[in-house]
Amino acid sequence: MLKVSNIRKQYSSVLAADNVSLEARRGAILGLIGPNGAGKTTTIRMILNIIQPDSGSITYDDKPFNQGVRDIIGYLPEERGLYRKNKLLNAIMYFASLRGVPADEAKRRAYDWLKRFDLLNYYDRKIEELSKGNQQKVGFIISVLHDPQLVILDEPFSGLDPINQINLKDILLELKKLGKAIIFSTHQMDHAEKLCDDICLINSGKVILEGSLPDIKSRYGKNTIQLIYDGDGAFMHSLAGVKTAHVYENFAELVLSTSNHHNELLIELAKNINVRKFERVEPSLNAIFLELVGADKKTILKGGGSYE
Amino acid sequence: MNKMFAVARWEYVEKIKSKAFLVSIVLIPLIMLGLGIVPGMLASRSDTETRTIGVFDQTGNLLKPLQSYLDKRYRLADNRPNYRLVAVADTVNSTVEGKNLADALVMADKIEGYVIIPKSIMSDSSVEYRSENVGNVRITDRLTTGIRDLVVQRKLHERGIDPRFARELTSPFEMRTIKLSKTGEEESGFAQIFFTAYIFMMMLMFLVMTSGQLLVRSMLEEKSNRVIEVLVSSCSPKDLMAGKILGLSGLGLTQMGIWAMIGVAISLKFGIAMIPLSSAVLLFIYYVLGYLFYAGMFVAVGAPVSTEQEAQQITSYLTIILVLPIALAVPVMQNPNSLLVKVLSYIPLLTPTMMAIRIPINMPSPVEILTTIAILTASAIAVIWAAGKIFRVAILIYGKRPSIPEFLRILRS
Repeated sequence: MLKVSNIRKQYSSVLAADNVSLEARRGAILGLIGPNGAGKTTTIRMILNIIQPDSGSITYDDKPFNQGVRDIIGYLPEERGLYRKNKLLNAIMYFASLRGVPADEAKRRAYDWLKRFDLLNYYDRKIEELSKGNQQKVGFIISVLHDPQLVILDEPFSGLDPINQINLKDILLELKKLGKAIIFSTHQMDHAEKLCDDICLINSGKVILEGSLPDIKSRYGKNTIQLIYDGDGAFMHSLAGVKTAHVYENFAELVLSTSNHHNELLIELAKNINVRKFERVEPSLNAIFLELVGADKKTILKGGGSYE
Repeated sequence: MNKMFAVARWEYVEKIKSKAFLVSIVLIPLIMLGLGIVPGMLASRSDTETRTIGVFDQTGNLLKPLQSYLDKRYRLADNRPNYRLVAVADTVNSTVEGKNLADALVMADKIEGYVIIPKSIMSDSSVEYRSENVGNVRITDRLTTGIRDLVVQRKLHERGIDPRFARELTSPFEMRTIKLSKTGEEESGFAQIFFTAYIFMMMLMFLVMTSGQLLVRSMLEEKSNRVIEVLVSSCSPKDLMAGKILGLSGLGLTQMGIWAMIGVAISLKFGIAMIPLSSAVLLFIYYVLGYLFYAGMFVAVGAPVSTEQEAQQITSYLTIILVLPIALAVPVMQNPNSLLVKVLSYIPLLTPTMMAIRIPINMPSPVEILTTIAILTASAIAVIWAAGKIFRVAILIYGKRPSIPEFLRILRS
């Protein structure tokens, strides 16, 4: 559906996108992840043709950008991108008309979506009177009302309560089933992990990790241990044979330097803490993210920098 | 194209419902009417109570004739005398004594004020009016005329001239002014023409100001809410800008239409002569062109703005340029065919307002009209073209405003 090849964008002193390539497939969700200021929004803006790359190419179904492309893309910007003083339904109808949806059809769809998000009672309210979460929902409705083939959502889950997060997740999976290509950016790794088929990790304008989620996980091997425990886990940082340790209150994720000494590790751990669960798993996306971005940020390459 | 109309429709429909627009459409004519009429009404409102005015008549023989003079001419609606004169001091009092006595009466609000008629009135023709409020021009006017008429009568009498004969000799003199034009003659005073021209200029100014502000505000709002990203991802910046200008022009036309209707209604009701249709059509053309020209300017300078303060600053700079011709209004009216006026009319920034002044006073030559229209049209197109280029880049700029060289680079790209 969408193919971005080697795009580059230089602002006066910042290289916002450096040779970025990615691909969004129909019927798949691509997670665009990366720390704040990594170049996610710049990349999205270039996909939307709001700004033009200095070099590289972007194709939509193998064709370059043309006016018609605008009508097959739906976009939800990070800060919702909503008028404040205007009435809910009016604003939805305006954006629908901008994307060429006939008025009666737009109205019908708008009512369906409003009902689905439990917003029907608010249709005649000014948008600024709505809560943040409800505004987020309105933004989402606007981005999908014209039945786009490519849906781009910048931080779609921010401001939503857990129930609406599940609601939105279901809708995204539904859109995926309908064969839409979906890109969403986030820095909440658990969302990305639960939803995405493909991952593209950007840092400082560069793609540092790309591919399907299972591929990536298996690439990072099985030398990760997840641990639930009672006691003081601080000692795990300096344990022999542990390359990296992400230690939380009662949970830890340890990356081992070799994959065959977990028995020794368990014995060692049991001396210090009360181990309630010990599991050998694929690394979480969060751990991979921290490893790659953290290493990149500090430019310290811990133990060779990668897992293999 | 369709998208442009969708934008125009949105801008028009949503803005026409806004309070700011309603206020501007009603309030501005009210303010203008108010400024023109209310002070006059207040000043000419007749008294409802007799006013008591002191007289310190040092001649001893003017108080009574003055009272009957005033009684004869000025009466309240219920036929009571408008003014009651009281002696505040006597001929035996010295000037200082008299003043002290009378000042006290004024301070105690017993009398509104008082007039000192000196003994020497027949030779030096000067009197003094003392009051807490010397701004009441009507009282001082009437007292002055009354005293002058009485003094003149006496002087004539002393020389043995019949006052009726004198009145004949000094009958008032009047000059009527007739405005000549190709279509015929028409009686009108300087004041009327001045105000006609002035009103047309002010209308244009308010029109451009309100919609310019609306334009900049709407861009600012879309920028600060990031709506702009959704907009330019669903339509081209060109459609967006053209739609905005179109929608707000519609708004301006609506505003102008309503004002014109109010104007026509007023002139029909009060029998004020309207300007000829040809002038109205020409003015309309200049208005529309000027409007588009300024709309382009507002977009170009307004698009990079990202705070309310900047927006205000920028709209006021442009408005100042627009109202510059007000300072020139009087000289232009006195000499509408001078070289300076002609030269200024060719500057696109000033053309609409200069023409708004000139057309009602003295129709410029067809050559001048055609060339100024051509220049203004070309400049409007150029400005809108440049605005389009700037708009595309600048609407995504947050924070720092681009410098002049950056602007030039955008234009060249």
